[in-house]
Amino acid sequence: MEQKTYIKGVGMTKFDYSQKHWWQLAYEAAIEALKDAKMNISEIDAIVFTGMSSASGGEHQTHKVSLLSGLFKVNIPIIETPSVCGGGGVAFWTALHLQGFKNILVLAGERLVDNKSEVVTDEILSAAERVIEQPEGMLFPVQNALVWQMYAKKYGGSTDDLSLIAFKNHQNAALNPNAYFYKRPMDLEKVKNSPEVASPLRLMDCSLSVNGGAAVILSHEETDIEVIGSGFATDFLMTFEREDMTHFHATRKASKMAYEQAGVGPKDINVAEIHDAFTSVELLSYEDLGFAEEGRGGELIRSGKINLNGEMPINPSGGLKAKGHPISATGLAQIYEITKQLRGECGERQAKNAKIGLTHNIGGAGGSVTVHIFKKK
Amino acid sequence: MEVVVSSKVSIPSLSHMNVPYFANVVKDEKGNFFAYKSEEKIDKVELKSNPDSVAIFKVKYDIIEGLENIFKLLEVSLNENSKILVIPTLVSAGYTYMRENTSPEFLEAVLDFLLEKKVNIKVGTQSFNDIPVEGLAQKSGLLDVCLKKSITPFDLGKSNFIKKEELELSEEVLNADLVLNLSVLKAGKAASTDNIFKVLKKENYSGLKYLQSEKEISEKLSKTLSNVVTVGEAETVQRKNGIAKYLGLMFGGKSFLNVDAIFNRVIMNKNVPETIKEINPESIIVSGRSIMEVEQDIDI
Repeated sequence: MEQKTYIKGVGMTKFDYSQKHWWQLAYEAAIEALKDAKMNISEIDAIVFTGMSSASGGEHQTHKVSLLSGLFKVNIPIIETPSVCGGGGVAFWTALHLQGFKNILVLAGERLVDNKSEVVTDEILSAAERVIEQPEGMLFPVQNALVWQMYAKKYGGSTDDLSLIAFKNHQNAALNPNAYFYKRPMDLEKVKNSPEVASPLRLMDCSLSVNGGAAVILSHEETDIEVIGSGFATDFLMTFEREDMTHFHATRKASKMAYEQAGVGPKDINVAEIHDAFTSVELLSYEDLGFAEEGRGGELIRSGKINLNGEMPINPSGGLKAKGHPISATGLAQIYEITKQLRGECGERQAKNAKIGLTHNIGGAGGSVTVHIFKKK
Repeated sequence: MEVVVSSKVSIPSLSHMNVPYFANVVKDEKGNFFAYKSEEKIDKVELKSNPDSVAIFKVKYDIIEGLENIFKLLEVSLNENSKILVIPTLVSAGYTYMRENTSPEFLEAVLDFLLEKKVNIKVGTQSFNDIPVEGLAQKSGLLDVCLKKSITPFDLGKSNFIKKEELELSEEVLNADLVLNLSVLKAGKAASTDNIFKVLKKENYSGLKYLQSEKEISEKLSKTLSNVVTVGEAETVQRKNGIAKYLGLMFGGKSFLNVDAIFNRVIMNKNVPETIKEINPESIIVSGRSIMEVEQDIDI
């Protein structure tokens, strides 16, 4: 980032099972972001869009940029940057690196959950290795269950810690009107006794696939929220081909880049939104992002420091786990949350003294990772 | 290969409808890690060979690796200078993506595999329809593959035929040490059996089909021919509606009927053709991967 970049506006839809089209969800989020920025669409110089939008019912559209041109009645450059679950972060990273545009709308809309769960699962699995790993039974929960087992074998590790993560995120989501589990906190015992899907991961260790849209307006015009760090790294599609299966190397690399650029370290972060596609991923990410030492992520969740009333709340929005995970929209919804936290606009789920915030967005099982750091003026 | 960690999976998916199963991370002797599905909880992976089995192998991009493993599982060894007759599937003047004929990539891998063994290779088949076999070979891309390997394919229909009871068999087939029946497996078809009919004189096949049935011809061929190994191409296969679907498998066996029966069981096809209807797949020995590990309803 050669020029200073700021967040001018944010918007998102409620995350749920709405059967609105992906472009309707994107449009709603964009309108909210424009209102938040007190801007008109004519002031936007470019749009970066991301989405899987598989819509297994048959309305899949690959020429989305043209559809968006008609939707917003603009003829500006529109770029699409698909990167599955990490699409939001990658779109944001792309917008940060675009030269010659003052105001950029970064946008996502997903209606992936529109069919039987087996069909939706299969659509989501197109984000993972189809030829070698999936025929061997590697669905995302299975892959992550095995990664967790490799971690537990190396460092020890208790599934009770994973339950605490699910419990924390559900408590937070209950306070977030945009979360699927708003006003529906989850009992810890219910988390621990939920059905096993891929041992040792249980249903309540898995994030919730939902539909939704999110939007962020980036600007080179100064606002109260500055983007101070940005990192993007990739890794092999096949989890078990990587040198170290117990952690996500791309998270480590992306966060190192973001911290260096921002001139801050993990201890300076006051609030974070982490990609908790599975509770085990959140725990491993504590270590990959430098919030905990290697093998000691469990201690962090047990300490209470990352609860909403702790020193550095993690996933105050409820995370993917309980706010919901509309694939590509997730990364932008994380930025929405951190922007609102830094502005002090989060009401009941407001983190204390939030001055510097971090977002961490993963595509696939650690195949593409972005980390962004934001600072309140 | 030893199992490093294992997860019991309880959620069904389109590709793995029967649960529970076990998803394992296994480590080979070189320290490489792989994903591996098993029916039961296992400590190590052992692929047990059996010459009377139908061998199933998962193809991971490398067709030659698949061929090597199929031959190993069937305990078939190829001696230097032995005479090998390759019979590719050639039924229509169509491109590879139609999944009607042996794909050029598959035939090329087979020829490379055989050339490496220093055997004598012949490639031949015949046309049972109105289009001459030369036309089929050209359009399918198989002619180019043979010429690239300096092999001149021939029309099996123009070879000498020798009568063995009711069957009139190509002399080339009887003279070969090994006949490699390259079938293109398709849902609801007995594709390996259909391809082996090409060893018969066309008129003999038509007459027997009219007077008897394909089932009877196949049973007679099965009893007469002892030098056939079928290798079934099933990386991407035709569904019953003709639309192709990725499956990622290779099948092999000394009984072409059993290969067809196991393939139709693996793809969960309930309407099996008459030729193999009476074969109970559960009675067939399977080597390599178990049916549960690879089964998939490809019509979904």
